[in-house]
Amino acid sequence: MAAKKQTYEQAMKRLEEIVSRIDSNELDIDSLSEKLKEAQELIKFCRDKLYKADEEIKKIIS
Amino acid sequence: MEEHSLSLYELNALVKRSINTCMPDTYWVQAELSDVRSNYSGHCYLEFVQKEPRGNNLIAKARGAIWSNVYRLLKPYFEEETGQAFVAGIKVMVKVSVEFHELYGYSLTVQDIDPTYTLGDMARRRREILKQLEEEGVLTLNKELEIPLLAQRIAVISSATAAGYGDFCNQLEHNPYGFVFYSRLFPAIMQGERVEQSVIAALDAINACRDHWDVVVIIRGGGATSDLSGFDTYELAANCAQFPLPIITGIGHERDDTVLDSVSHTRVKTPTAAAEFLINHLHDTAEVLENHASAILQAVSTRMEREKVRLARIAERIPVQTRMRLNEEHYRQERIMKQLEVGWQSRLAKETHFLNMLETQLGVVSQRRLVKEQHRLQLLEQEVKAASPEHLLKRGYSITLKNGKAVTDASALQPGDELTTRLAQGEIKSIVTKK
Repeated sequence: MAAKKQTYEQAMKRLEEIVSRIDSNELDIDSLSEKLKEAQELIKFCRDKLYKADEEIKKIIS
Repeated sequence: MEEHSLSLYELNALVKRSINTCMPDTYWVQAELSDVRSNYSGHCYLEFVQKEPRGNNLIAKARGAIWSNVYRLLKPYFEEETGQAFVAGIKVMVKVSVEFHELYGYSLTVQDIDPTYTLGDMARRRREILKQLEEEGVLTLNKELEIPLLAQRIAVISSATAAGYGDFCNQLEHNPYGFVFYSRLFPAIMQGERVEQSVIAALDAINACRDHWDVVVIIRGGGATSDLSGFDTYELAANCAQFPLPIITGIGHERDDTVLDSVSHTRVKTPTAAAEFLINHLHDTAEVLENHASAILQAVSTRMEREKVRLARIAERIPVQTRMRLNEEHYRQERIMKQLEVGWQSRLAKETHFLNMLETQLGVVSQRRLVKEQHRLQLLEQEVKAASPEHLLKRGYSITLKNGKAVTDASALQPGDELTTRLAQGEIKSIVTKK
């Protein structure tokens, strides 16, 4: 469980990195689309954590 | 001798008369309660003691009584003012009259009580506990813990039947953002003498599986008159201060902080407020996430826009090489656009209204731009096609090249220069003889 919690924080850190790299214009168009894809996966992961009930966690804590 | 002796009753009656004569007033007395009992008739019988300044030996003791007509008002008044049950072990200041009864002896009848004295004594005890924790270096340990970004797994210490616990769960479950929370009750007694050991036992149970939890919440429904003294003990405070997870307290009271409140990570007033605190915390987390999402979307749109302008400029300047580049860039743009669309579709229905609006606006704007740009590119493409050399060659025109460069001005040529003439099919070489 501790690992999962870290993953959220890690995901957020990675997102921050991507935001700052895009902002600083250091990416060419090809890497941009790559990073965009990664960012979207990270965002989806984080949103799922926030809004979708995880049956595994439910089982562990009940 | 007989006529000079008194019966016991007569002696006691004499003592009673003397006391009544010598001590006719009422007196404010400071003492500790050592025994408090009330019977079916509503009278309260108690014992007052005074101990040595340092130590536990008694140096004074007196029985006392509070008659039901007084006790009925005095007890709730005292408890409401102090948040402390009227029980043995506390220090009080009471207004008493001194009584002596021939059969029951010496006794104090309580007529009034001053809760501020008890409050002062409790505050002093709380200060002592906090000072001791500070000296041991543990006072602020729990406050130094960080609540994780994703604080969803809540271990709740409360009484299962308390209304406050229901309020808390309800509030969490129906949070307006649709966040998921996982909570479990670790039941404990939240009132009376067993609070300390009971809450500590619950903390131990949580500690045994502490990886399963992000935070601990200690809550209880706030009644008007309630006994909070159980939350003012050293053992409980020391346990909470050193607990490895952040503790949020919402034990429902208006008066000064209990010791437990002072050492906990975050103190709120009610169970509902504790739930709100957790919801707000997750909302902050979600907001950071959505800000990142918007920032990325916006930055990419801006970047794409700039690339397209750049591309259009290149297309104007080098028409011959444009088609390939156009195709290539066009393909890339389509790919990125598709990814953007997929991203939007996967947005969750539960997202906050505000973010949805913002996003929709962004989506419409950048899509419109992309479509517009596509149209422009298609137009350009057609123009380029019409103007392309192949097209012209087929119609009988030819291109004259010198050293691989198109010749457009005869004055740039000298007799003897070798020229290549490109036709629709094949090339011929020739030499300039005259000009």
